[in-house]
Order: sequence, then structure tokens, then C-alpha cells
Amino acid sequence: MTPSTYFQFAKDFFSTHRCSITETSDRSMEVQLTNDMDEALMNRPFYWHYMKKMNRVGEAMKLTFTDGLMEEDNGIHLHAGTPKLHQMYQLAIDRSYSTRLYEHLSALTVNQPLHPWLVLNIKIIYRGKQTRDEILSIGLNLINGALLSGMMDKIWKIDFRSTVSDFSFPMTPVVRVESGYQRILNYVKDQLASLNDEWAIESIKQLESEKDLLHHFYTSDDVDEDYYEKELDQLQVRYKPRVSIHIANGGLFYLSQQTSQSLFRET
Amino acid sequence: MVEILHDHDYIETLSNNLTQPDSLCSWDEFKLGYNALHYRSVPEFNGVLSTKHLPHVDFLDHQIQACEKVIHEMNGRAILADEVGLGKTLEAGLILKEYMIRGMAKKVLILTPASLVNQWVQELNEKFYIQAATPRKKMAAWSDWDITVTSIDMAKRENHKDEILSISYDMIIIDEAHKLKNHQTKNYQFVKQLKKTYCLLLTATPIQNNLSDLFNLVSILKPGYLGDLATFKKKYRKTSLDHTESHQHIHSLLSKLMIRNRRKDTGLDSSKRHVTNIRLTFTDEEMEMYEKLAALKSNSPSFTWLTLAKELCSTREACFMSLQSMQNKQESESPLLADFIECLGTLPHHIKAKRVVEIMENSDEKFIIFTEYRASQFYLQWYLQQHGITSVPFNGKFKKSKRDWMKQLFRTKAQVMVATEAGSEGINLQFCNNMINYDLPWNPMRLEQRIGRIHRFGQDKDVHIYNFAIENTIEDQILNLLYEKIEMFKNAVGDLDHILENIPGGNFDNQIQSIMSQSESQGEMNIKLNNLVSYVEHTVNERRELS
Repeated sequence: MTPSTYFQFAKDFFSTHRCSITETSDRSMEVQLTNDMDEALMNRPFYWHYMKKMNRVGEAMKLTFTDGLMEEDNGIHLHAGTPKLHQMYQLAIDRSYSTRLYEHLSALTVNQPLHPWLVLNIKIIYRGKQTRDEILSIGLNLINGALLSGMMDKIWKIDFRSTVSDFSFPMTPVVRVESGYQRILNYVKDQLASLNDEWAIESIKQLESEKDLLHHFYTSDDVDEDYYEKELDQLQVRYKPRVSIHIANGGLFYLSQQTSQSLFRET
Repeated sequence: MVEILHDHDYIETLSNNLTQPDSLCSWDEFKLGYNALHYRSVPEFNGVLSTKHLPHVDFLDHQIQACEKVIHEMNGRAILADEVGLGKTLEAGLILKEYMIRGMAKKVLILTPASLVNQWVQELNEKFYIQAATPRKKMAAWSDWDITVTSIDMAKRENHKDEILSISYDMIIIDEAHKLKNHQTKNYQFVKQLKKTYCLLLTATPIQNNLSDLFNLVSILKPGYLGDLATFKKKYRKTSLDHTESHQHIHSLLSKLMIRNRRKDTGLDSSKRHVTNIRLTFTDEEMEMYEKLAALKSNSPSFTWLTLAKELCSTREACFMSLQSMQNKQESESPLLADFIECLGTLPHHIKAKRVVEIMENSDEKFIIFTEYRASQFYLQWYLQQHGITSVPFNGKFKKSKRDWMKQLFRTKAQVMVATEAGSEGINLQFCNNMINYDLPWNPMRLEQRIGRIHRFGQDKDVHIYNFAIENTIEDQILNLLYEKIEMFKNAVGDLDHILENIPGGNFDNQIQSIMSQSESQGEMNIKLNNLVSYVEHTVNERRELS
């Protein structure tokens, strides 16, 4: 990822949240926050509390961002570790927890049914001796049960709106949302089972050998039972391989039948 | 074989939210969330991500390697025992950051000597973007704070102890851990009871020379790793420390949980430092002027004399600026000051400036000249230009872009950079290997920081340092007492820094200032300065014996 990736993210972030952006150059911009964004990002709860108490409007701050290549003195440099950027990530994830969207179909003259899809973006965390994660995006057609991975990439360019277009109507799911969710989970678990599990074997090996050490130490009377138990717990935390499936965001997406079918063609 | 956990709440929340359109997001917001998810992801088991998150810090190779080794080979429990000055704190911070990015550390406790608590908090914030809390008198929220820095003494107090021991910390960092070598002390017992997943012990004192100390430290990290105490003692106590075979065995065991970088291994010692102290003599006129200034001692604060005398040793111009501003503050013009100003005007070019030009004319290498005074900086630039020598100015108040521009000019065009004190931090000039300290700061550490601009990682030539001082003046005294006696150039720098900051009754700078301004006679001043220096000497030696 290049610095401009982060710059672009910040730009998208603020325009999505209706802040006005003045680009001073292609590498720096000034952002006039909205009150909502100021409250969410600027860590000054007392100010906003006071303003509300006094029945006043309050003035949101202005921020300057640069892409970090220019090395200006003022402004927030955007790079992989910028704390403000991480605040924005968190906010973006929190605020996209759930959605329902309809494909925008312009100039329809006949009624057009929309297929409901359950889309889940999932973070899989592999944790043992070491850790890593993986982002999956899975869509399930709630009419015919077809399942697609890499869903977000496939629908990225489609124009979705929060309201239904004229002459189109959402179909009632045949598969209930809850069972759809189960199906997706089961699919993910099946996938996990088929993966290379060398990392887990390594972790277990390490866990066992350190347990042996500890046990040996324990039997030599140098430590009491309490301490032994505590260390044992810590070894589990440190080495025991486990995978957590964490749904980051998701929702119902209504797509026309043609679009639904085209998703399969591209793969 | 592998346990699979998943959150069960999501579907319920989703179903609820679908009935409440307010809680649903737009397509743009949804895409944004998905992007954020990707940018925050950690796709690889191996590697170090933290350096990419901290582009404003120049980490050295050995520090990054230490981080990688501790996390991926030692699995997060290690002793960091680098020699002083190689950046153990940076290593620890880097490791902590890496664990935080990877989502493996959230709850962290850092135990340091009380005097270092604030420094840790500040470094974590500035260098690592980690916000740490520290307990104040009645304010301690151990359970709420994610990252806490405190001293062991504070943590083990009755009113805190139980709460701290009840928390499962993801990571514990203990600075100056060699203090924990005795397993019978309360501190040791306390640390041993802490619940921790990952743990770093920082120590500058090589511990491998005392086997039972070593045993105790290792027991905090990996109980049982060296066997049990009784057997361990039986096995190693009889064999003397010089017994290479058993020593080697211990070393190979240790290498799996200890990082010890040495200066010579890191390449920081490859370039040598040559220091030349140049003593110059004032011309008669200059000396006369210098002696005249002493008249101030009787009827104004001695600090005034001190300032002017030091300035005169630098340049006429620096001294003039101060005199002028003093004169402007007077209600009616002071004849004494007016006389000084007039007398200054008759002085020839400064003896030091002449020497600078002599040195320059005999060399075509690049030089950086440090002075404490802006006026001297301007004068020097002008004087050098008169002799056809190109120079660029530098000071710490420059904006980043201007600094970089000056650095660039110095690298490509100018032979000389004239910097004021404010410029001695935050710029790295490895491409230059000559430095003239045109005048000397009170605090030897400030000089060390100056030298650090050119004598640092990446310098491949030997470094030449010229310290200017004028005989039979206050500068001579500084050079004599502060620089030559404290053998700073050969010492471990990190240590000295610490000592100078922690002299009872104020740091080194303050001490000197007060000695200079409070002494009534030359003799008194010398005695006091001598005392100060011997205190520092004593502490340095004490430290050295300890390690």
C-alpha cells in the first residue's frame, strides 16, 4: 500500500461523511469536519457536552492532512500508523455494521424482481504461537441458495441505494436470513478444515514442550500449585492454536436477476 | 484439533437492525468499512509491521532484528540486554507495538524505576503513538487503563497490589530488571505473581556472570527452563565461571531467550572519533575588553557578567547584541555600557573566526560549525563569505521543509553549515565528518548531541571534532573542568546522560548555572565545579563497576 492509498481512504471517508474537502494540492487537503465527525474523532467530549448544555451549536474543527511524502510541518501525515487514521478505520467499521441496499435500476418500464443476497464480511483470526488474519467476503443468494466468495469485489461497482428503484420489487427470501447465516458459517468452517494447518501443529508442539518443562519444575517443589496453574493457563493463551470467526459487517443486498447471474459469469 | 470460536450475536443484531432503518448504513459507508477492514488486517504470521506504522522513527537494523526475534522465535518472552546506548527501550516499544498491531496485546503493564516513568510515557506517546496512563496520588484505574506505566514500589502498595494481581495482562515490561535478581525480595515475589502472557525484561547489566541471579530472572520468563534451583546450583556452582564448557552451555541456553547486542557488533563503533581541543589566545585588545567586563560583577547580578563574558568569547557581535538590549532597558543611558559598546566597536575580527578560516582553507572537506548564539551565526556566515567559503545556516526553529532544503544545500553545494544550538537535534548529517564547536555549552551532553549529528549509524569515515576555547577565560574553565575531566568521549553515553539528569538537587545544567551565578570568587567557583565533577566521576565509576 502506498501513502496515497491512505490519502484516498481519508478522502473517501470524509466525503462519505459529508465533510467539505478543500484540496490544497494533490498531496494535501483541508477538511472541515461536521459536528458529528468532530465528536467522533476529536476526543473532546467536554466541549460538546458543554455546548449542548448551553444550547449552543458548537464549532467543528478543521483538519489538514498530507500524504506524508511532502513532509510539511503542519497537518496530519497519513501513513500506515497514523493514529487518526486508525480512529477512522474503527469508526468506518463500527458504522457499517449492518445494511440493506437495493440495486439501482434506472428507467424500468416493467416490474422487475430483486433477488435478496445475504452478504457477510468476515475476519478470521488464526492465533497460536504466532498470529495472522484473513478477510473473507461471502454472499448467499437467499432465493436459490447459491454461494459466492469474494463477494465485495464482485459487487463493488454496482450502484446500490437505500431505497428501491421504481418498478422493481424485493422478493421475499426463500432461505431465512438466520439459516443463510448458518450456511455461510458452515461453509467457512469447511474451508478452514481444508487449510494447511502447519501453524497449528507447530504451536501444539511448542505448547507441549513448555508444559513438560513447567511440569518438571513443579514436581521439583520449587513452586506451589497456584503458581503452576497460573503458568499453565498462560501457556494456553500463548500457544494454544485457535481460530476465531468474527463477522465485521454485513447485510441484505437486493440485486436484479440479471446482475445476480452476471456475478457467476465473471468468476 | 484447532478450536474454532465464532460470535453468535451478529445474526441477532442484524435481524434487529433490519427492522430499524436508522441503524442501517449507506453503500458508501459499507464499502468504507470493508476497506478499513482490509487496511487493518495482518495477513502474514511472520515479519515486522510496526516499523511501517512508525515511519518517523529511524530504527536501527539490530533493533528491528531484535523485535523480529523476540516475537517470532522467542514467542514474546525475552530478556533484552543490549549494551547501554543501543536502544533497549526502542526495542521494547517496537515489540509492544507489533503485538498491539497484531491484536495480541491490549492490557499492558510497564514497570520502571520511578524516575523513568514519565520518560516512558512520553516516548511511548511520541515515538510509538501509544497512549499510556500512570497512576497519580489518588488516581489509579488499573482495570480501566489499557497501558499503564508505573514503578514497582507503587504497584506493590497494599491498596493497589490486589487489583493489579487480579488482572490478566497481555504483556508486562520490566525496565532495569537486574534489580529483581534476588528471589527473596518482595519485588521479586510481586513480579512473579503477576499474570502475564508476554514478558520483556530489560537490563543493561550483563547478568550471565552470576548464575543464581540469572536463574531467578529466567524463572520469571520460563519457569523450569534452567531446571530447578537445587539441581542448577549443584551443576554449576562447583564449576567456576571460567569453566568454559559449562559457560558455553549456559550461553547456548540463554541465546534462546536473551538478546544482547554489543556496540562493536552493531557497527556503531566502526568510525572513530578524534577530538582536538584548540586553545586560542585573545589579542591584547580583546583581553583588555574581557577584563573590563569584570567591572559588572560588582554592581549587577553575576549572571550578567557570565553571559557577556561567554558571549565575548564567542563573537563581538553576540556580546554587542546583549549589551545593546541591556542599554535599551536602562532608564537613562548607562555610561559603563556605552563605554563597553564603544570599546567593542574597536576590536579586530574575532580570533576564533580567523582560526575557523585557517582550518577551512587547509581542507576541502565539509564542516559543521556549532555556536550557541544567533549573532555569532550571522557573523560567521558573513566572515566565511568574505573569504570565499560558502555556508548555509541551520537552526531548530526552521520548518521541516526548510531544514531539509538546508540539509540538501549543505550536501550538494555548501562547504559549511553554521548551526545554532537549537539545531543539534533532529538532523542527521552522516555525509559530513568534521565538526567545529565554536563555543561550548555548559552541559557535556549537549555537546554529545551535537556530535551525534555526524557520528552516528551510517558514518563510514572517522569523525574529527575541534573544540574551541580561549585561554584564561571562562571557556578555558569549561573545557578544563567539564570536558577533560569527565572523559565523556570515551564513556558509555546513555549512562552519563542519565547521571547528569539525576544529580541530587537539579540536573547538571541547573547546577552549573547556579554555581556560576552564586560563587563570589574564582576560587569558590573552581572548588564547587570540582565537587560537581567528582560527584559525576564517582557515579560513573560506580556504575562501571556494577556492570
